[in-house]
Amino acid sequence: MNTGLFRPASVAEALALLARLPEARIIAGGASLVAMINARLLDPAALVSLARIEELKQITETSGGGFRIGAMARHRDLAAETRFSGPLAVVQMAAAQIANATVRNMGTIGGAVAHADPGLDYPPALVAADASIEIAAALGRRRMPAGEFFVDWYTTALQPGEMVSAVHLPAARPGVGLYHKFARVSGDYATASVALTMVSDGIAIVTRVAIGGCGPTPLMMAEANRLLSGNPAADDLRRAGDLLQAAADPVDDVRGSAEYRRMLIPRMLARAFDEARVRAGASR
Amino acid sequence: MSDALHVNIKVNDSTVALDVPLTETLLTSLRDRLQLTGAKRGCNQGVCGACTVMLDGVAVRACLSLTANCEGQSVLTIEGAGTDRAIAALQDAFIEEGALQCGFCTPGQLIAARALLEQNTDPSVEDVQKGMSGNLCRCTGYNKIIDAVRKAAQRLQS
Repeated sequence: MNTGLFRPASVAEALALLARLPEARIIAGGASLVAMINARLLDPAALVSLARIEELKQITETSGGGFRIGAMARHRDLAAETRFSGPLAVVQMAAAQIANATVRNMGTIGGAVAHADPGLDYPPALVAADASIEIAAALGRRRMPAGEFFVDWYTTALQPGEMVSAVHLPAARPGVGLYHKFARVSGDYATASVALTMVSDGIAIVTRVAIGGCGPTPLMMAEANRLLSGNPAADDLRRAGDLLQAAADPVDDVRGSAEYRRMLIPRMLARAFDEARVRAGASR
Repeated sequence: MSDALHVNIKVNDSTVALDVPLTETLLTSLRDRLQLTGAKRGCNQGVCGACTVMLDGVAVRACLSLTANCEGQSVLTIEGAGTDRAIAALQDAFIEEGALQCGFCTPGQLIAARALLEQNTDPSVEDVQKGMSGNLCRCTGYNKIIDAVRKAAQRLQS
């Protein structure tokens, strides 16, 4: 058996190691992986550390006015990012609410999305932002919408031997994005969260809402988005809340009962929607 | 159990060579191999902040850092911070304000406060609450810690 810690200097080298060592796990910032090792949920035989791969640390503006966020970008960097304007602010707001300042110095966006814990802040924010996940594999790289990447509890569309290399944010258009989190104490995982973006497509307002912490993956519904787009009436907002509440699949845990989480959804949605509408009006 | 991995790190300005298992945390190496017991093992899950140390100038959780993954990096623990101006000011202010009782969380509090003051030389009450929300204290009720951090900030500015 191959054991040890490998510190490749490039994505290609990391992929070669993953191919050679099928039992290896990837370690990014360690904030989730090492906590799981300490809790004896994991005992990896080999680790591939991404710490030395410079390409993965960059946050770069893409030609279309969007952003490519390297998988090893820290929560701290994204929380302090001032270039994410309009709807993309949802990602910055989510990053700023992750855990606490010290953990934000360690944790990475790639590690968080690959871990896919439903209580994390990035998954709903990335789904609402219409982000895509860049996956590196031996045969090349591909991109997948965030909404398809999260498959189930702690389960993503990643195949063996693949890794998350970046997160792509679409070009910022006029609009607003915000992330509201309900947690027992500052820095806890979300009991429930709402990520919301409103984008003006030149004709009407297009709204996207994703609920976090209330099921195996971020909950987004085309019908709820449709009801919240354009110029919705109070009844549309209520119906969208009812739809999301009925479709949610929360569990009972220490952060709240399933019933409690269901009750939070329409209330948090209404609060986020009202704030977004006020901010959209103010920025017009 | 994997074979031991050889690692060179710098701890409080001394170079240290260690042979550690793959999954050994920096906290375990500091406490059990180097007898540096200032950083405490509270939750071992990154929640409580009692193990906070500086790694290459950035505050991290020693319990969430694998020693083998720290090759070539520099660690500063409370034991090595005796000559640090900010730590000294914080220690004085913690004593004057009564910002500790049992002391278990204090090394982590001091390192986290030092990291906060590097980012923000004049933090408001809310800034301290947010900046140090990851350091739990079961004795003081936090107000005295907030007062102490702000007092140290004022002294460091003057």
